[in-house]
Amino acid sequence: MEIAGTRLSNRPDMENTASPKVRFTVSALRPETITALLVLLATTLMMLIMKALNPTFGSLEQIAAILTTSIFLVVASYGQGLVILLGGIDLSIGVVMSIGGMIIAGLTNGSNQALVWAIPVTLLSCIAIGLVNGLGVAFLKVPPFIMTLAVATAAFGVALGLTAGSSQRTVAPALQQLMSARITGIPIPILLIGCSLIGGSLLQSRTAEGRKLYAIGSSVAAARIVGLPIEALTIGAYGMSGLCASVAGILLAGYSSGATLDMGDPYLMPSIAAVVIGGASVTGGKGNYLGTFAGAIFLSALSTIITVLSLSQGWRNIIQGGIIVVALTLQTKQWYLQKIANRPLTGQGSPNRALSQNSKV
Amino acid sequence: MVMSMKQASREKGRPLASSLFAAILYVVMFVIYSINAPSAITLGGITDLLNNTIVLAIASAGLTLIILAAELDLSSVGVIAVSNVLVATVSTKMPAGTIGTLLLVCLVGLLVGLTNGWLVAFLGLQSLACTLGTMIMCQGIALVILDAPGGEVAAFIMNRLTDTVFGMIPVAGLILAVVVLAWLLFRRTRLGIAIYAVGTDAVASHLTGIDVKGTKLRVFALAGVAYGLAGYLLSAQTGTGDPRVSNSFLLYVFAAVAIGGTSLGGGRGGVIGSVIGAGILTVMQKLLFAVGVADFYTNIFSGLIMVVAILFGNLSAILTLHQRMPLTRHGDRGYSAQ
Amino acid sequence: MNMRKFQWLIPVAVGCTLTAVANQMDAQGAQKYKVFLDMSYSGNIWQAAAANGIKALATTPPYDKLIEFKTIISGTDVQKQISDIQSMIAAGANAIIIYPLSPTALNRVIRQATDRKVLVFTYDSTVTEPSAYNVSNITARYGANTAQWMVNKLGGKGEIIFNHGVAGTAVTKTYDEQAYHIFHNYPGIKIVGDFYGNWNDSISEAEVSKILAAHPNVDGIWTVDGTYGSLQAVLKNRPSRLVVIAGQSNNGYRLMMADPAMQAKGLQGISSSAGPAVGGYAFKVMMEVLLDKKKLTGHNVEYPLPWVEAKDIKACAGDRFENGCNVFPDGKVPPLFLDTALDPNFLPELSLDAVQTGNPTPGATIQPLPDVKYADNLPGINCQDCKAPADALEPNLVTPIPVPK
Repeated sequence: MEIAGTRLSNRPDMENTASPKVRFTVSALRPETITALLVLLATTLMMLIMKALNPTFGSLEQIAAILTTSIFLVVASYGQGLVILLGGIDLSIGVVMSIGGMIIAGLTNGSNQALVWAIPVTLLSCIAIGLVNGLGVAFLKVPPFIMTLAVATAAFGVALGLTAGSSQRTVAPALQQLMSARITGIPIPILLIGCSLIGGSLLQSRTAEGRKLYAIGSSVAAARIVGLPIEALTIGAYGMSGLCASVAGILLAGYSSGATLDMGDPYLMPSIAAVVIGGASVTGGKGNYLGTFAGAIFLSALSTIITVLSLSQGWRNIIQGGIIVVALTLQTKQWYLQKIANRPLTGQGSPNRALSQNSKV
Repeated sequence: MVMSMKQASREKGRPLASSLFAAILYVVMFVIYSINAPSAITLGGITDLLNNTIVLAIASAGLTLIILAAELDLSSVGVIAVSNVLVATVSTKMPAGTIGTLLLVCLVGLLVGLTNGWLVAFLGLQSLACTLGTMIMCQGIALVILDAPGGEVAAFIMNRLTDTVFGMIPVAGLILAVVVLAWLLFRRTRLGIAIYAVGTDAVASHLTGIDVKGTKLRVFALAGVAYGLAGYLLSAQTGTGDPRVSNSFLLYVFAAVAIGGTSLGGGRGGVIGSVIGAGILTVMQKLLFAVGVADFYTNIFSGLIMVVAILFGNLSAILTLHQRMPLTRHGDRGYSAQ
Repeated sequence: MNMRKFQWLIPVAVGCTLTAVANQMDAQGAQKYKVFLDMSYSGNIWQAAAANGIKALATTPPYDKLIEFKTIISGTDVQKQISDIQSMIAAGANAIIIYPLSPTALNRVIRQATDRKVLVFTYDSTVTEPSAYNVSNITARYGANTAQWMVNKLGGKGEIIFNHGVAGTAVTKTYDEQAYHIFHNYPGIKIVGDFYGNWNDSISEAEVSKILAAHPNVDGIWTVDGTYGSLQAVLKNRPSRLVVIAGQSNNGYRLMMADPAMQAKGLQGISSSAGPAVGGYAFKVMMEVLLDKKKLTGHNVEYPLPWVEAKDIKACAGDRFENGCNVFPDGKVPPLFLDTALDPNFLPELSLDAVQTGNPTPGATIQPLPDVKYADNLPGINCQDCKAPADALEPNLVTPIPVPK
């Protein structure tokens, strides 16, 4: 239980905007970080159990394969995470991914030289879709759910009209190689995941703009009083989401050597699930990219395990859904763990934070 | 009349005004549709339209209760799928199939709803995430019951529920009227009032002695029953079972709620709006066909109409509540769900 | 005050009325048949190619003068498809060609249509409503034939990956049943991994990569679609040793099948599965029935199962499949392009551009079709109370090898 005041006074992010250095010392074991680590731990446990049951499972090669194929989700859900941080949601991610792939295939048409200008054009087009979402949410006050659904529906229609549904051109070979080549034995996609994790985390948690998103997500009213540029940041977050989706779409087009208008669809629900499993709150103001990353890896590993089980799809679904619920339960029941972890390190402010995070009522 | 409407909406928040605006939009859309397709105003046309609307309407009515309590629920498509395959597999085999199956699917919906409610209210899981889990599980259960489209729905369910009574009133319309009436009664009950209170501010509700956890549990249970019923009505129309109820339907359930003027942050709105919202989304498909929009243009215009429908609702909010608007929309979201 | 707010609606309503009246006068002016294409899924290569083929044919002379053709995209919600078919009936359709979302859920609305003398044809996917016509090759035993072909190539033993299609669909259930039946006849065949690839190349590639990592000695992959993606996964993870594979007709896949360098590494492929040309074929059959040029005695028409082995593959010089060629050179089309979108026998009117854009081929006119082949009954697929042939699970294009000792 918390009392009304707790929520209001407990706004670490606002304080942090004012004094980032203080936060830095505390941040090593923020509750979100603990959640993320727990999700990664759950993933490891899950893999170990499978390994015990089935010795052919979980080779280094297979883990590399899981990581490689998780890159689309890892990248796309970063943007979803920023939007959810604001208390919004982006349902256009699947469609924007597809459109991104279609544009890059259409513009490069098998030529590597064309990538130089085709990539910026693709990114800008998809950012534009994101900005439309942001404008609608920020200025027209259309609920994010409807705005992004409507934009996705309409953008799909436009793309369908322009392309008849599938790209008739070949993706640049360099993109295809990017997704399959290795540097010193490590697949490039895994290196890319590492870069996006570091870059994304820095941008979200270490920059002033990133911290302001937390503030807005916690309370728009308070953020407005403080004078934060709410509209600009909202539009920026949706633009970032469009950007991430287009990067994921370009990578996916490179991976599958072609683009279709439905290839992004399977990533929409998982992108939301990854963010939420990673400890973010759909009402905003909470969560970080390490958590989202952990959520994405968790979902990828889970889908591999489900594949290995060799059951009918019905039972696969039942087990997959069940594991998601169990993982969430474990994550929620870790509150006392956090208390123990936080007490010696963070002093007085944090127990409150841990409490407000997990008590639903 | 305008004055009294304004006062009413000041007292009760947005629901009355915005569902009124949604209704106006619906009427406008229906009029344009019927001008372009004269068969729209025949009994057959109206029955078809109501039959197309009712599944979405009942499902979004269930979801509305949950959203009013500031939670989210993705399990609707899962429950509808299970309910649909159950009707298709047992309704012709069990005695008193019509009623028996109805009770069975309501029970299934209730069970799923109670599970969701328990996970959310008592274990403190995030509703969006854990209902995603239960949705996937339900879809799995549907696939286990029926691994490919098939089965058979009792002829009575198929023929009676999609037809008219006394040759003049579509059964679907009657069911919708009952749902609306039930809602009007329900919102005056202790639980009905508690839902709004919990959705507006769970902490304050708790302090005033409302059983927040119990309220949420009941809300999820009620919504589960509504989804089960929606699956039953879907079976009446398709006459068969199909384990794949698509995700696109899920998004439209949410869209119906939002277009009906219910705030996705909780505490404001109501079932009537959602029923009208479902009507708008259904008549939209007919309207676009009737005015000659085809091919991919349908997608483009669907997107536009959804935004326009919301703007129309926002207009009402500005008209009736202009002082309150700027801060509360987001502020409530941040607050109420905690 | 409230009234004034809605004054802007009056011109809108008036405008809509006028267009409606204009539309109706237009329709009465020329006596054309009203023909609708109702798509459900859209935005993937298969559906786009099938729909483009139908659109191109509908605007090829003499059909362009005879029919008023309109495409409707219903999406993946079965209620929307029901609603759209109702709208088509109300709009006075003479013929409707649909890609049905479900073999059974549309039966009632289809019955409403056929009761009013509307011709209803389905392509590729089927319905069990007896008054509708199904044009498909779902009855051509793809599962049994390709599985037997793989067993023969593998010599009756080896590890294979099984790539299902979309869970919960009649097609997947039918093909899986046949293929499993054949594989289980040979104790030496071991299915080491199976997954639902959703007929999607990127999902298939990802899943095959993950299974290959755990089972490095896989000898074969059975697919329905997602074939190119599945093979890509092998090429990237195990480039020196390829597999025996059965599946679709992607141009890139056919090129690899015929490549001696790939064959030297063990690639043996069969290009079969349902091709998008079935859409155009169904449309032409429907048009001939509508124009009284053909009388059908049965309601289930079988489109022949494509069957192309490596030795049959021949590159085309131009934009059409002529003189027996059946694959385009690398770079002319993307690797995922489906070569079975074109059919020189039944659909000589279509060129590459036609199936890519939906525009008619300049100079082409509609050519008459030969007699149709009627399909077997498959209960729950294309009929309700009927019996499947006794040998429905056995191959009819391939001779089985004896089970190795």
